[in-house]
Amino acid sequence: MRNSRKVAKWEIKRNLKNKSYIIGLFLTPLLMILGFTLPGLFSSDEDNSELTQVYIHDELNLYTDIESIADEIGLNWQLNQTDLSEAEATSALEDSENTAYLFLTEQVLTDGVVPVYTSEEIDNAFMNEVQLLTTPLQTLQLEQLGLSPEQLAVVSNGVVFEEVSTEESEAETGEAGLETASSDDFLEKMVPGAFAGIIFISIVFTGMAIFQSASQEKKDKIAEIILSSITPTELMQGKIIGYFILGLIQVAVLLVFLVPLVIWKFDMPIMEYLLVPETLLLTFIALLGYLLFAAVFVGIGATMSDMTTAGNFQGFTMMLPFLPFAFIGPVIGNPSGIIAQIGTYIPFSSPGVMILRISLLEEWPWLEIIIGLVILLISIWLCMKLAGKIFKVGILMYGKNASPAEIWKWIRA
Amino acid sequence: MNVMLSIDGLEKSFKDKKVLHNISFEVRKGEIMAILGPNGAGKSTTIRNIMGIMYPDAGSITFHNYEGNEIPRHKIGYLPEERGLYKNVKVMDILLYLADLKDYPLDKAKERILMYLKKFDLEGKEKVSIEELSKGMGQKVQFIGSILHEPELLILDEPFSGLDPVSQELFKEEIRSLADQGTAILLSSHQMNLVEEMCDRLFMIQKGHKVIYGTLDEVKTEYANFKCTINGRNQLQDLEAIADVERVEQHENSATLYLAKDVNPSQWLKLLPETLIINELKINRVSLHEIFIDIATGKNLLQEAGASDA
Repeated sequence: MRNSRKVAKWEIKRNLKNKSYIIGLFLTPLLMILGFTLPGLFSSDEDNSELTQVYIHDELNLYTDIESIADEIGLNWQLNQTDLSEAEATSALEDSENTAYLFLTEQVLTDGVVPVYTSEEIDNAFMNEVQLLTTPLQTLQLEQLGLSPEQLAVVSNGVVFEEVSTEESEAETGEAGLETASSDDFLEKMVPGAFAGIIFISIVFTGMAIFQSASQEKKDKIAEIILSSITPTELMQGKIIGYFILGLIQVAVLLVFLVPLVIWKFDMPIMEYLLVPETLLLTFIALLGYLLFAAVFVGIGATMSDMTTAGNFQGFTMMLPFLPFAFIGPVIGNPSGIIAQIGTYIPFSSPGVMILRISLLEEWPWLEIIIGLVILLISIWLCMKLAGKIFKVGILMYGKNASPAEIWKWIRA
Repeated sequence: MNVMLSIDGLEKSFKDKKVLHNISFEVRKGEIMAILGPNGAGKSTTIRNIMGIMYPDAGSITFHNYEGNEIPRHKIGYLPEERGLYKNVKVMDILLYLADLKDYPLDKAKERILMYLKKFDLEGKEKVSIEELSKGMGQKVQFIGSILHEPELLILDEPFSGLDPVSQELFKEEIRSLADQGTAILLSSHQMNLVEEMCDRLFMIQKGHKVIYGTLDEVKTEYANFKCTINGRNQLQDLEAIADVERVEQHENSATLYLAKDVNPSQWLKLLPETLIINELKINRVSLHEIFIDIATGKNLLQEAGASDA
């Protein structure tokens, strides 16, 4: 273990003195920040320019109601009252943009149809947004019919078909109870998940450098010199630990940039959300994910003398960390669905999928998580064992790439 | 003398091919022991087995003066045949790392690094990146790396390959002086002239078999018969007719006569016929180089001697 520490220290020092690592270290958060802010900048520009002018010909005295609804939902509307007739409005619209005229006349209450005149250029979402105004109109309609306030309440509640599964009923009632709080809740749950996700991605991607590091050992023909001082296992462990810490350094740098940005952008108590027990479990899963990929990388790296001459087999293993991305869509769609479960049980996608599911689900599927973790732990143990065998032989095969057949032979040896 | 390392009955096969047959020898404190042999004879395989980089199928490797079954890696210096250094690091950094891996105190290592860099004409290069060094300079840095931690046993696999004559001399001197200070040195090489000048004992290996094992003097008396080189145009049959001549190699105006074992040169010279044309005459023992070439090309004048000795 002492020797592994020395190797780890060396790998860290070597990378920290390496210009390309340092550049990469700061480039990653910069790219992320750009990714965060650039679309924001563009869209906020659009918001300002595309403020929709809404003119309301109000005979029903609903203007203030509409104003408060628009305000509450955050509609991008500039409300105005108007006395223009429908014919005048059409002509006025001809030379204007992003403008709409709503005619709330007595007729609306009987027909149930609100005439909306829009200019040729108008926000695509406008017709959807306008539908939100149906509620006050309906209420007014019903009032006209002489219903009592109690009857009104019943009718305006409408009828909804609600799926009530035994497991999730609790969660759903909780959610329904606090509608305004739910978006905060969601963020609160997402923060530890996002944190673990960032850790996972950062250390796994930094861990991909193990690949290079192991194959460089071959390329520079130094392996035998190093192995005259320590055992192959110690060298391998040292590399895994070293790149883990390098990954954490990357995470730290990332957070230093990201946390203030998130606080500024979203204005939420991020630290409060972060310091919860979930974070521990999620970080633990991220760590396991790293160990799994590190074992694969260090083993495969030892079979290649050069990145550029990597065969299909080696190239394929490089893609393994991207496997969870294939699951993102289905898992977000249905965090407890069958695909999510499969993803939890495949070792290479399991860390990513588990982090995602735990952040999305109110109630954790403990059994699945435990099974997933056990599979993951066994896979790590197995991969480490195999990597050790491959590493021991491969690292000394200078200037040669090993074929899968040879690798298989070493594993069986 | 104090035995540092004994190899006993080493056997090793790759797939179905046996590459080491019953190899046994020992290395003593303060001596230079050479493993000689043509390419592919099994030199590096033997050394890799000693270093625990491969595991022998049979036989034992014993490091004396050490407890336990572990290889005393910290006490061994090793310069492999296939060697290199990380490219994008500084000379001082890599050497300190190697010393650290051997558990050698770093302040002392630093001192010794500067001392050796100076000795090997690399003064002021400690902050230079390895990739900026020439191949020879790189070799020197590797050599420094292998002796930095004051090993008690130094194993050098082809230390002279790729070195210019000046550097070879430097290496030779340093290896000799380390041996004089008490380091046990195991050295493999196919450069006989160099080895002949410096080794105390040698082990010659061919196709995984022991051919010769003994001190340089013993080997020379035992195996290196006299040969006589005559410049002058003579008939082949005249030369072959001379007593105690086992073999004649003739090139134009010169001929080399290989003499039988136990020939007394002064007596033999008197037997030369007066008709012989002699412009120049040289009599000396067959060199290690010639023994080696004979073995490697399979002519093997030593086959019988070697076989009887085995």
